[in-house]
Amino acid sequence: MEFKLEAHRIVSISLGKIYNSRVQRGGIKLHKNLLVSLVLRSARQVYLSDPCPGLYLAGPAGTPAPPPQQPGEPAAGPPAGWGEPPPPAARASWPETEPQPERSAVSEAPRVGDAVPAATVTGVGDVPQGGEADAAEAAWNRVDGPRQAAAGEAEDPAGGWGVFPLGSRAARRPCGCPLGGQDPPGTPAATPRAACCCAPRPAEDEPPAPPAVCPRKRGAAGVGGGPASCPAPGSTPLKKPRRNLEQPASGGEDDDAEEMETGNVANLISIFGSSFSGLLRKSPGGGREEEEGEESGPEAAEPGQICCDKPVLRDMNPWSTAIVAF
Amino acid sequence: MREADTLRPPQLMEVSADIISTVEFNHTGELLATGDKGGRVVIFQREPESKNAPHSQGEYDVYSTFQSHEPEFDYLKSLEIEEKINKIKWLPQQNAAHSLLSTNDKTIKLWKITERDKRPEGYNLKDEEGKLKDLSTVTSLQVPVLKPMDLMVEVSPRRIFANGHTYHINSISVNSDCETYMSADDLRINLWHLAITDRSFNIVDIKPANMEDLTEVITASEFHPHHCNLFVYSSSKGSLRLCDMRAAALCDKHSKLFEEPEDPSNRSFFSEIISSVSDVKFSHSGRYMLTRDYLTVKVWDLNMEARPIETYQVHDYLRSKLCSLYENDCIFDKFECAWNGSDSVIMTGAYNNFFRMFDRNTKRDVTLEASRESSKPRAVLKPRRVCVGGKRRRDDISVDSLDFTKKILHTAWHPAENIIAIAATNNLYIFQDKVNSEMH
Repeated sequence: MEFKLEAHRIVSISLGKIYNSRVQRGGIKLHKNLLVSLVLRSARQVYLSDPCPGLYLAGPAGTPAPPPQQPGEPAAGPPAGWGEPPPPAARASWPETEPQPERSAVSEAPRVGDAVPAATVTGVGDVPQGGEADAAEAAWNRVDGPRQAAAGEAEDPAGGWGVFPLGSRAARRPCGCPLGGQDPPGTPAATPRAACCCAPRPAEDEPPAPPAVCPRKRGAAGVGGGPASCPAPGSTPLKKPRRNLEQPASGGEDDDAEEMETGNVANLISIFGSSFSGLLRKSPGGGREEEEGEESGPEAAEPGQICCDKPVLRDMNPWSTAIVAF
Repeated sequence: MREADTLRPPQLMEVSADIISTVEFNHTGELLATGDKGGRVVIFQREPESKNAPHSQGEYDVYSTFQSHEPEFDYLKSLEIEEKINKIKWLPQQNAAHSLLSTNDKTIKLWKITERDKRPEGYNLKDEEGKLKDLSTVTSLQVPVLKPMDLMVEVSPRRIFANGHTYHINSISVNSDCETYMSADDLRINLWHLAITDRSFNIVDIKPANMEDLTEVITASEFHPHHCNLFVYSSSKGSLRLCDMRAAALCDKHSKLFEEPEDPSNRSFFSEIISSVSDVKFSHSGRYMLTRDYLTVKVWDLNMEARPIETYQVHDYLRSKLCSLYENDCIFDKFECAWNGSDSVIMTGAYNNFFRMFDRNTKRDVTLEASRESSKPRAVLKPRRVCVGGKRRRDDISVDSLDFTKKILHTAWHPAENIIAIAATNNLYIFQDKVNSEMH
């Protein structure tokens, strides 16, 4: 148990470092962020391997095949590459979204340990621990604001769909299902696995552009519902993510010059959330345990792709999803 | 190695308000260059020994100061480029002028340092202030003569090698052929010709096709001191790769891989971090390499790839404190290491302004402190000790009272004599072993 606490603490610290690295002068340091990601991976492995009742065990921690490159995307991915500047709009909302993963991770880990599924990224809005919930909610408020401002899209039905794709990840459950209205924040699912009984979401529900999903606005949108029910894909009135969202701009920016791909926190974290990676591919294929601690490539940079059209990964780690959140 | 008490009172100079980021002697040891976080380079010159002032024999005085790099902003990528000087390397002197390469994260510059100690006087058409004379007043012709003047040191940028690196440059190394040099960033190493600035050759590229597969980065690199075709680069995984440029244009495939298997009993969350090599230096003989990782320095024989031939613990008492050091970022500190001129002693820095020397022959080691107290006249450097529990002597420092903000990352050893330069934050200490100035 001590190892788990220690691992949890290290994960929190690591996330903080990755967060801070974004505002450091001189750009993101690839070496340091790589080392931090390795520590994250080690801590995660320890955390997950420490047997605890109700603790969902991670899938094989083997090396998965790298997610296929998105067509037309150079190795340097979109907003996510190491150190690539995210699209301006995204960047605007970046700082506000940063604190969340930390809180999420912090709030979620203990819950997992307590056999209460940190379930969801909702963790952000959840009330795992009282104080954190308020902070998390406040964070979400902040996220919405800038994102909306950044997006500047009035017609976005969801209202809160920022251009910032990564923020949308926060809305996802471990299983990848976006939060639904049926699952009000604060409802802990039994286990992440159990909570996620969502049926695979058909690809057509997913907009081609990465939907920046604001979890709170999601309401009835998104795949599946709460822990208890998983509506059939498409059966729930969905708030479609904005279709007019641009593709992560940075995806195309590498045409001319190579972008310095230094730590994009979200991608890093998303990779860290291993099995999550499968969700990032356009093609269905289920999640494969991605190499943890590695930097993300173009795939992770497909924020919006998240999970929506993928079958829920049974081995989705709840709090790693939260980490992916931002 | 003689006892530390034979060292002369050290010179202490406050180089600048900025933190020193690199220290380098030139090939004769006459000049010592320091770079700092503000992009400035300060060069010290050793005063010739004179009988008139025996106490100032061989002391270093400021020779020249110039701004090498300025902060820049890459508008395309919205990235600020720090002006901090990461490395300085001297070129072998080929004429009266001195040249050095200085680099920040992105741009390498070649600086030429020249002296002017004479100036022409007696122009026919100009007066003393340089104003044109009224021609009607010129009644005779004179030949201008060179008259001595106060020494003026002029520094000018001769080459700017820009846009060669996408990632942050961590090292530069001048080839023994004196025509080329290499620069290494996290993922690539480029070979430049000193006279050509608009192109470079990429000789190592470890960037994976998919950045998700990235597992290690290049942390340091150096050319072999004698074989112009050989160079080594170290990785964040603790391995060294020796490459031969004759083998292929792209030296991704190493000729030799030096790697020590990890000790499973020491495994922790931070094993990977502490095994990352922060510095690699060839010995002067060219037969050995010295590497520094977070807790140790290791000597490798080029003929043996399986493990280092010597391992020295720098501050093993930190092994149990890795978590705290991770929290306060100290675990990411990149310490440098240095050989003495005869390759018999190796030196590296530590915390609390301590630095360590290891004698390879006698296997003795010493911990010394670079502090203002030790720089008083007649002061001798007293060996320090860090106590890790057990019997504590009077002047011992306990591990918990170490000041981790005082770190000695950059050290340099004179190529021929027992003179060392220690950079302690923004102070430069120069210690000389006057009694035992010859290497043995």
